[in-house]
Amino acid sequence: MRITPPRVRAGLVLALLVAAHFIVRPRLGDPRFAPDFILVALLFFAIRVRPMAGTIAGFLVGLVTDAVAPTAFGAAAFALTVIGYLSGWLKVIVFADNLLVNALFVFVAAWMRDAIEVLVAHQLQGGELAWQLLALSPLAAASTAAAAAVTLFLFRGWLRQGAA
Amino acid sequence: MAPGSDRYASRADTAVFLVCLVLSLVALALPAGLREPIAGALRRTVLLPVLTVQRQAVASTAARERLATVRAERDSLVLETIFLPELRAENARLRALLGLEGRLVHGFATAEVLHQAGVADGLTLVLSAGREEGVEPFAPVVAAHGVLGLVRSVDPHTSVALAWTHPDFRASAMVEGTAVYGIVRARRGERSGELMELIGVPYREQLVPGTRVVTSGLGGVFPRGIPLGTVQGIMTEAAGWERTYVLQPVIHPSEAAHVVILSPSRAADTLRAAFDTAHAVADSVLLIHDSAGVRVVTPPATWRRRWPRGTLPPPRQSAPPAPPAGVTPRERP
Repeated sequence: MRITPPRVRAGLVLALLVAAHFIVRPRLGDPRFAPDFILVALLFFAIRVRPMAGTIAGFLVGLVTDAVAPTAFGAAAFALTVIGYLSGWLKVIVFADNLLVNALFVFVAAWMRDAIEVLVAHQLQGGELAWQLLALSPLAAASTAAAAAVTLFLFRGWLRQGAA
Repeated sequence: MAPGSDRYASRADTAVFLVCLVLSLVALALPAGLREPIAGALRRTVLLPVLTVQRQAVASTAARERLATVRAERDSLVLETIFLPELRAENARLRALLGLEGRLVHGFATAEVLHQAGVADGLTLVLSAGREEGVEPFAPVVAAHGVLGLVRSVDPHTSVALAWTHPDFRASAMVEGTAVYGIVRARRGERSGELMELIGVPYREQLVPGTRVVTSGLGGVFPRGIPLGTVQGIMTEAAGWERTYVLQPVIHPSEAAHVVILSPSRAADTLRAAFDTAHAVADSVLLIHDSAGVRVVTPPATWRRRWPRGTLPPPRQSAPPAPPAGVTPRERP
């Protein structure tokens, strides 16, 4: 893989998102609903590479996520592996350079990540599960989608998929 | 790296996907003894820089937000300190007269909560203090208003705490100022993670909404007297056996920013004085069930010597009669 200026620019945006996760996110209020910049970075990466790279990136990010919340070690790795792999397949949809479509894609991915993680961890059930998946997760997914839309709006030229 | 319309998953892609899935499932199936060292190693290596950055970000945010308040407090303190020696001596005399415990002056470390993304953040919390700061496993984690959880694993500069919302969390509890004991855990079911349950309360005890529940000091983890929550109402009751009450917690893990991690050596202490001294005097009055209903009495000095403060004499063998209508047992005067 050659290192070209467009790739460097895309890499810079991803690095900015990772930095934002640890520097900006703590200042965005209730952590339950704050945007997950790492997930946005993972999705932007996964739709620009082969499914294999997206899968591996998802697995590694998930493993690191599990390390800081070891309630069900492996659940986040499982969920993000699936998300990373599927993002490669969904390239055809999100290839459209449309802000709304990309935001919707991030929203669905974030919600699905939570759903898979919660179900695999098998720690919530009944009304508790419904409260998490139907109330808390959609709100968090919405804020994550908004963050993705803002990022795309600001760095559309740098993140143009053909250029990446 | 450029995508093209021909980019679909090859066999190699699918194989890598399956391998990663299997590895995730293996991680899920790992026993706690193996899981925690792996997670700890990741926190100490890969995550150390980012957790350090996050800790500094949280600290700087808090510092900026509190700057004006701190300045005002500092100015007030300058004035207050003029009278400090005299006040300290007077306070010591009054506390001795009232029999209050000492203030929380040692045996703790302070930390910031490093909130993470994902659904597990409300169940476990990463704290910015670790072994180097004196944090030990099973150390109680307390916010300004009350119990937040307990430390589960410790790294050199960070630690992971089990919040009270976690399904495995339990705390021995008591109704403040009485001998009504129970176990507090997160409420499972509808709106879980938002409320607590006080289980195992004897059927004959009825708690009115608003009654404060604190740690009992039993179990050797939480010191006595740390607020857990206030009673909202009865959730379930097994006729003639026990009642379960719903509690409004004093703090939710997602709201916590700064915490105090107590040393496990303080487990035998009473920390009620550190949270609230206003009710301490009320310990000298007792609520008694008898044939006349519920009475408020001042115990004789011999009782106070035989039973520690905050406890009642042993219950009678026969069950007490139901209180008369309109009188709620255990209601504080």
